[in-house]
Amino acid sequence: MSHHAAAADRPLGVGILGAGPVTQAIHLPALARLGDVLEVRHIMDVDAAVASSVAARVGAKSSTSMDELLGDPDVDIVAICSPHHFHADQVIAACKAGKKAVLCEKPFAMNGGEAARISAVSAETGVPIVVGAMHTFDPGWLAAEQNWGNLPETAHTIRSSIVLPPNARFEDFATEIVTRPAAGRRDYSDIEVIKAALQGGIMGLAIHDLPLVRRFTPDFEQVEVLQARHVRPFGYTVSLRTPSRVIELRAVMNGTWKPEWTFEAIADDSALRIDFTPSYVQAGSAVATFTRRDGSETTSFGPYGHNGYEGEWRELAGLANGTRQAPSAQTLIDDLTFALSIAEATVATGAADHANATRTAGVSA
Amino acid sequence: MSAQFTVQATPAAREAGAVTQTVASLPETFGPVPAGHTGPADVLVVAGSGGWTAEAAGAVQSGARGIMVANPIPEDTSELAAVADAAGAVVVLDLRWAANPALVAEGSGPDARAAVRSGLGSASLLDSVATAPPGTDPRQLLSDHLAALLAVTGQLDGVAVLRGDASGYTVSGRLANGAPFTAQGVLTAARPAGVDIRLYTADGGVDVQVPDPDAAWPAEVRVTGPHGNLLLPTLYESAHRFSWRRLKEHLSAGTRPDDLAGFARLTDLYATLTAT
Repeated sequence: MSHHAAAADRPLGVGILGAGPVTQAIHLPALARLGDVLEVRHIMDVDAAVASSVAARVGAKSSTSMDELLGDPDVDIVAICSPHHFHADQVIAACKAGKKAVLCEKPFAMNGGEAARISAVSAETGVPIVVGAMHTFDPGWLAAEQNWGNLPETAHTIRSSIVLPPNARFEDFATEIVTRPAAGRRDYSDIEVIKAALQGGIMGLAIHDLPLVRRFTPDFEQVEVLQARHVRPFGYTVSLRTPSRVIELRAVMNGTWKPEWTFEAIADDSALRIDFTPSYVQAGSAVATFTRRDGSETTSFGPYGHNGYEGEWRELAGLANGTRQAPSAQTLIDDLTFALSIAEATVATGAADHANATRTAGVSA
Repeated sequence: MSAQFTVQATPAAREAGAVTQTVASLPETFGPVPAGHTGPADVLVVAGSGGWTAEAAGAVQSGARGIMVANPIPEDTSELAAVADAAGAVVVLDLRWAANPALVAEGSGPDARAAVRSGLGSASLLDSVATAPPGTDPRQLLSDHLAALLAVTGQLDGVAVLRGDASGYTVSGRLANGAPFTAQGVLTAARPAGVDIRLYTADGGVDVQVPDPDAAWPAEVRVTGPHGNLLLPTLYESAHRFSWRRLKEHLSAGTRPDDLAGFARLTDLYATLTAT
């Protein structure tokens, strides 16, 4: 149960665990657009100076303790924006604290066991959980969903392509970041570096769109990795196959200024392409475009005025107010299982490819 | 005034190369064989289906001065090259996408080849998608696709087919600097046929979109870098017409194109793929 009964006309209180660049450049600007329904009241970070600085921007309390934030009766909704390996325990603690809703940045768990524990606690407490897969809340995606007919059943080819500059470019358009993590130099000859980059690529970047991919992949449990290769300086090219689908994942984070973030689902006679706006900036929604008849028939939806981050906060407010239905825990678990299976196989395949390429280079040298 | 060079084509070649409408766009240079004319035409059009190299060699030996091959499939061209060399005949290959003037321009004009090759040293990834209607022979599509890629990259290493099925194929390999490349074929009637080539580099990249040659819609080549996003001049000329215009230039100047030598690289690459 909630510790605090909010007045009907009072915005819902938000508490955020972790005050890094995602909180500073994504969530606080999104919440600033929703001041009539949501209000940031508590910021927690292990770095007291960061917690204090970020909290002061929005007139919120600050702390360095998760328990202090969860015990704050002014906090109705908890957002978990901490490093990945803290997510599961913090989601569970937030549910047990009786909050009205929990937002967990993706991924919400790092293995199936954690996911099952979260599911059980969510069911036991009745606290709805939203995973921060922002594209699933993007009005462009939602418009596509309303209009795609039987495309999820008929699509044979699915592509996700993400081309982005370093995060700092868009973070700096969104806010003034304090304490940005230092970027280290990577030794690409070290296979552990490659494995970590591939793991990070799937669970940190591809995961944004894997729930979208899964919507078009009914046999997602039978996914097979045909190819996985690291792209320098950061990215991947991964080719997947299920008995009924071809799935291609591409990502490049280089020094470009030009972002391109697309999702495509292609069938024999119709195709969907969604062009998403870059993260961090409030640049409106994605544009969804359906094509038929050699491209001579085109129908587009969007852009709409807000993006998926704002969309997920609207969803959380609705959940906390009881005006929206909680998402299925099984959907979240299936999304996570799908991502984890791809990440695991990608790391194994990519590491083998890297070792093979290194051996070949050694022979030819 | 009659055309400079007479043209003869079988019905199959005429259809494969859109010969009638293309030749009609160069009326001072090419024209039909006049009624009552005996002997071979100046130019013979050969459909690029199986056995095209032998057919083309036979045409050269019969006296044709120029050969236009419409959309050839990979075949060993060494014997044809020897016959053409001996006769001084001009053999031009009208390739579906690779012959588009935006890929390899005349003279020193800006083109996709120069843009891509200038980025290969700092390449992170080359990702390409070819689209064609359902029912297309995936092997022909792959051949067309690789021809376009070779035209702009010049070299592809470690190429392997990851999958091939009713919906298309995925091929992977490496660029000269070791960066990965992928080429995917997608069979769908939802989108126009064409090939999309995207090279991503350290600070931008090159985006090449090549349409089918059945109309003069232009390819688009965009170069992204710190300067911004530059669209190279658009050329409203189909691959078919550009091929015929090259044939005209060579016949008129008495020069020889290197089409067959370039095509041999495609044939070699294709042979390694189909053997695996």
